[in-house]
Amino acid sequence: MEGQQYQGELLAYLQSTMRAIEAACTSIQMHTNPAAAEATILSLSRSPQPYKACKFIMENSQLANARFQAAGALRDAAIREWSFLSSDDRNNLINFCLNFVFQHAGSPEGYVQAKVSSVAAQLLKRGWLEFSVSEKERFFYQVNQAILGSHGLQVQFVSINFLESLVSEFSPTTSSAMGLPREFIEQCRKSIELDYLKVFYCWTRDAALGVAARIIESDSGTDEVKVCTAALRFMLQIMTWEFRYSSNSVKNINIFSDAIRPDNTLLNRTECIVVQPGPAWREVLLSSGHAIWLVKLYSALRQKFSRDGFWIDCPIAVAARKVILQFCSLAGTVFPSDGGRLHEHHLLQLLSGVIKWIDPPDAVSKEIESGKSSSELLDGCRALYAMATVTTPSTFDKLLKSMRPYGTLMLFSNLMCEVLKVLMTKESDEETWSWEARDILLDTWTAILTTSSGSSENATLPPEGVHAAASVFLLIVESELKGACASVFNDDSASDYLHASISAMDERLASYALIARAATDVTVPLLTSLFNDRLSRLHQGRGIVDPTETMEELYSLLLLIGHVIADEGEGETPLVPNAIQRHFLDYVEAEKHPVVVLSSSVIRFAEQSLDPEARSSIFSPRLMEAIIWFLARWALSYLMSPEEYKEANHDSGLGSTNQIQSYGSKGIILKFFSEYGNGKTVLDIIVRVCATTLLSYPGENFLQGLTCCQLLHALVRQKNICVHLVELESWRDLGHTFANEKILFMLNASHQKSLAQTFILSTAGVKNSDTANQYVRNVTSHMTTYLAELCDKRDLRSIAEQPDIILLVTCLLERLRGAAGACEPRIQKSLYEMGLSVLKAILVLLEIYKHESAVVYLLLKFVVDWVDGQITHLEAQETSIVVDFCMRLLQLYSSLNIGKISLSTSSALLSDAETDKCKDLRALLQLLSGLCSKDLVDFSSDSSDTPTTNISQVVFYGLHIVTPLISLELLKYPKLCHDYFSLLSHMLEVYPEMVGQLNGEAFTRVLQTLDFGLHHQDVDVVSMCLRALKALASYHYKETTCGRPGLGSQASSGSHPTGELKGGILSQFLRSLLHLLLFENYSSDLVGVAADALFPLILCEQGLYQTLGNELIQGQVNPNFRSRLSNAFYALTSANQLSSTLDRINCQRFRKNLTAFLIEVRGFMRTM
Amino acid sequence: MSDEEHHFESKADAGASKTYPQQAGTIRKNGYIVIKGRPCKVVEVSTSKTGKHGHAKCHFVAIDIFNGKKLEDIVPSSHNCDVPHVNRTDYQLIDISEDGFVSLLTETGGTKDDLRLPTDEALLAQIKDGFAEGKDLVVSVMSSMGEEQFCALKDIGPK
Repeated sequence: MEGQQYQGELLAYLQSTMRAIEAACTSIQMHTNPAAAEATILSLSRSPQPYKACKFIMENSQLANARFQAAGALRDAAIREWSFLSSDDRNNLINFCLNFVFQHAGSPEGYVQAKVSSVAAQLLKRGWLEFSVSEKERFFYQVNQAILGSHGLQVQFVSINFLESLVSEFSPTTSSAMGLPREFIEQCRKSIELDYLKVFYCWTRDAALGVAARIIESDSGTDEVKVCTAALRFMLQIMTWEFRYSSNSVKNINIFSDAIRPDNTLLNRTECIVVQPGPAWREVLLSSGHAIWLVKLYSALRQKFSRDGFWIDCPIAVAARKVILQFCSLAGTVFPSDGGRLHEHHLLQLLSGVIKWIDPPDAVSKEIESGKSSSELLDGCRALYAMATVTTPSTFDKLLKSMRPYGTLMLFSNLMCEVLKVLMTKESDEETWSWEARDILLDTWTAILTTSSGSSENATLPPEGVHAAASVFLLIVESELKGACASVFNDDSASDYLHASISAMDERLASYALIARAATDVTVPLLTSLFNDRLSRLHQGRGIVDPTETMEELYSLLLLIGHVIADEGEGETPLVPNAIQRHFLDYVEAEKHPVVVLSSSVIRFAEQSLDPEARSSIFSPRLMEAIIWFLARWALSYLMSPEEYKEANHDSGLGSTNQIQSYGSKGIILKFFSEYGNGKTVLDIIVRVCATTLLSYPGENFLQGLTCCQLLHALVRQKNICVHLVELESWRDLGHTFANEKILFMLNASHQKSLAQTFILSTAGVKNSDTANQYVRNVTSHMTTYLAELCDKRDLRSIAEQPDIILLVTCLLERLRGAAGACEPRIQKSLYEMGLSVLKAILVLLEIYKHESAVVYLLLKFVVDWVDGQITHLEAQETSIVVDFCMRLLQLYSSLNIGKISLSTSSALLSDAETDKCKDLRALLQLLSGLCSKDLVDFSSDSSDTPTTNISQVVFYGLHIVTPLISLELLKYPKLCHDYFSLLSHMLEVYPEMVGQLNGEAFTRVLQTLDFGLHHQDVDVVSMCLRALKALASYHYKETTCGRPGLGSQASSGSHPTGELKGGILSQFLRSLLHLLLFENYSSDLVGVAADALFPLILCEQGLYQTLGNELIQGQVNPNFRSRLSNAFYALTSANQLSSTLDRINCQRFRKNLTAFLIEVRGFMRTM
Repeated sequence: MSDEEHHFESKADAGASKTYPQQAGTIRKNGYIVIKGRPCKVVEVSTSKTGKHGHAKCHFVAIDIFNGKKLEDIVPSSHNCDVPHVNRTDYQLIDISEDGFVSLLTETGGTKDDLRLPTDEALLAQIKDGFAEGKDLVVSVMSSMGEEQFCALKDIGPK
């Protein structure tokens, strides 16, 4: 009786839950009160043990959405409660989901099936390490039966899909979040990779074999196609798995994997994942004729459906091609070490299928132009790319020779030429298949031409390859020039692109350059003749025809030439490219060396821009940009190269004897442009061209930026160039103009900064240090004098607001910043004096310009840069002057800005004001961090009789001034927040002893900030706070165990003078950290750092920790949980032989303990 | 030459030394500029070229410093723009009347009573409360090209 009644009540309850969920789902769809509906659904997944209700809804609801939500709720609840479900419960849940999927295999609502099967997969993964082998076998037996097709095609289809979601659950990049540690995920991944992937693969392969035969034989069979597609997709998924454990080492790689270049990801636009599954897969993938079956399957299908043009883009065709592509990228120990025979054979099989997609190139491209889908061709290109990635160039070339009279490289270059031809007939800004094909093929070239060692570049490229490269490059140049002509007049649409063009095209140009360098004998002379041809065209047409097209062609050519003959520096001095060093060995006379001829043509052309008449007619700003860019790039490799310098020294008997080296072709070029050859003349031309762009192209910011930041910087980076630079008349003229002429104040202020920096850096070329300091004084005197004079003016307040004065002050401050940023030990003295002479002016200006945020920022930034450069070199007395000044600056800034509210009618201006404030504060924090570095690095000559400044005290005082200015609103700016907390945590970590000495107000503020930071969203901020906390607590613990006061009265419990805080600060933090760990959301990355902080806190406040633990344990109503919790608490402090010393080993043990503790209890603590 | 003449006219138009000429290329974000006769603060500068091989021009987006309206202008970057002279003066707040007008104490000891507080309710309440609590409030008044308005408020005194 009672049982029946209970059943009845249960049924009523389940039905009402179902109705509620259904109603909620409908209301979400209808958009009526979605928040309430979501809350209803959430309450289901949050309720304890909602499994009955979920299953009931999944089985009985007519509404697909409700079934979907119920499955989700089931998953959430099970993952949460997993650790205290019985093993029967767990098995039942998974079985239920699997059976559900199989039973409803034919259901039209595919998304519900997908959801349920992913729930099954996730639960299986959650319990993966706990299930016994036989349990797993039982699950997979069902799946295997289903895949074999014993329950029909529908079930076969869903079971393959189940495997797909299972494998994606186990791959770390696609798994869903379950709050489990990385070790767990890694173990699962290892287990499935070693024990199951291959089994799964064979199951699906067999399924595919079966259905594929039927597809080819019969005419109908959409279900078979569906299953076959799913199987192929699953095979693809396994082929893209990142094999780690089975490809048993990197050491014994056979010759094929030697050719795999890890560095080619740099230039890649196309994705190519090299698959390295290891020897265990050899049988399955290679020996069984699997690859040939795939190729044949695709060909058969292709033949069968050849009448349907759309077939190429059908899912099954796409999937099959992708699997073939992955087979092409197979590499590593899966192949035996038989000299690459099996690999070659394997690739040959694949190529025999792939070649039908791309050969003959002209016919294929014609078909595509007349409407055929391009995806087969593109996949063909990708297959070539994959093969080129896993083989050496000569093996790559040899592949085709067994089928055709020519090699693969020939086919490949024909294909590329065809693509380029099609590209030339198209509008330049239209993205078409030929664009994509070109990019893939360019990547293939890159794969062929770059080798990991870099030394054997051409040695491995067969002669056919060199020819192919030459002919492809010819077409590339042609198409680039044609593109240049065509793009001249469509300006406005692309104008945004134009500015970025030089760097945006870099990637493509770099691939072009690689191709050109493969055949330098042809390509360098080709570029020279094209360049000269366009030049003469430009001169002949002067004043008669519109030169724009020719200018644009020259622009493209300059970029190309720059890429071909020189490498990008990227912060280091680039060498002359290997390809150029190794070629042209038979040229003895430098003047006739092709690279010298080419370089000289460009330099002579650049020189023509000095003539005002030529400048106005043929040197457009854009053309000048290319020239400046070229000169900067070229000068780094060729102009007065230090290598040549050494060699010359050696020749004249000055250098050491170990410089003997075979320079080959490079020596001739470098000698030509050395200080003994034409180097000085060229340098002079370059400086005069720079002066021209700065003086004669007013308002051309981009051009002037290139000149200041790239070309001039490139020159002063090399000491041996500086030596000659400072001697040049033209350089001195430029310096004079910079200091005295108004025209250079018209430059963009940041370029003026860069110029000032350049001038200071050029002192590297001055031999004597006194002269160098004098040089600095000469360069900077106009800045300091003017600012000092300005501040002495009596009517300063009224004239300071004039726009022209503001502009001037801004420019001078930027120049000072530039100079300060170029600090070197040798010239530190004069730069110190420079700063010292404007300190007073800076304080005056800060007050005067308090409303002019742009000027304020510059003032602060100047101080930051100056202090940064100086601080480590300063003597004790100088340090105290600088520190004193910094504190005055902070105080003044604070008094001018604290409590200030901006009243603007415009919200944009208000938010700008906020941003400005944030930037100022960041600068102040940077200043304080700069001061901090004095304690870490100090080059001053240590004399003990002068009293030294206590840096930590100063910085804490500075923080005390700055902190009130930083509002919670401002901490929402991530950069400011980050800077602030990193400074604070640095201070607390390095000087915990200072905290005890802070006064009450400062102390409270520091702690409140820490508490705020602990609950911040940014993981970095939280971990910085935790580190600070760790430092504080460890310091206190260590001191108190030695009987010293540690952090003093403020730290220990119950003795806070104001009485606001019940416990000491450490006990407060213990409380809030425990709360955070147990009840709040945080990234699992934080657990380690949190453990480091928690451990010393517990040691400091053992009594409180006991009380808190007991409170939590008593708070548990469920006796089961209560005992688990108390066991966990016990284990936390006693497992792994944890003792109460704060050494490294103990901390590591505690980390482990805490992780285990959280996994054990967090699940139920958070739900209760 | 023609630029300077043009500039002279605009000067005469707006009153003596209200604006200064400055090359467009040197005007940066956060600087000031006159657009359509209004003093503005620049919030965005971008440059482009007139045709691929032409000269650079600057595109300014700026906000009228008095009425907060957005204005835009395109100027060849080697040409001059007018830059307004923006003047700011601090006054001590001595009274707030019922209708929102305030009395300010000038440097010379006189009073200035012709300015009205901002209309934003929250801000207004904050100012009134602060004033009622007896805080020493200093207001900054920004003036340019013959117009003036409050631009900032700061409390310097004790509560």
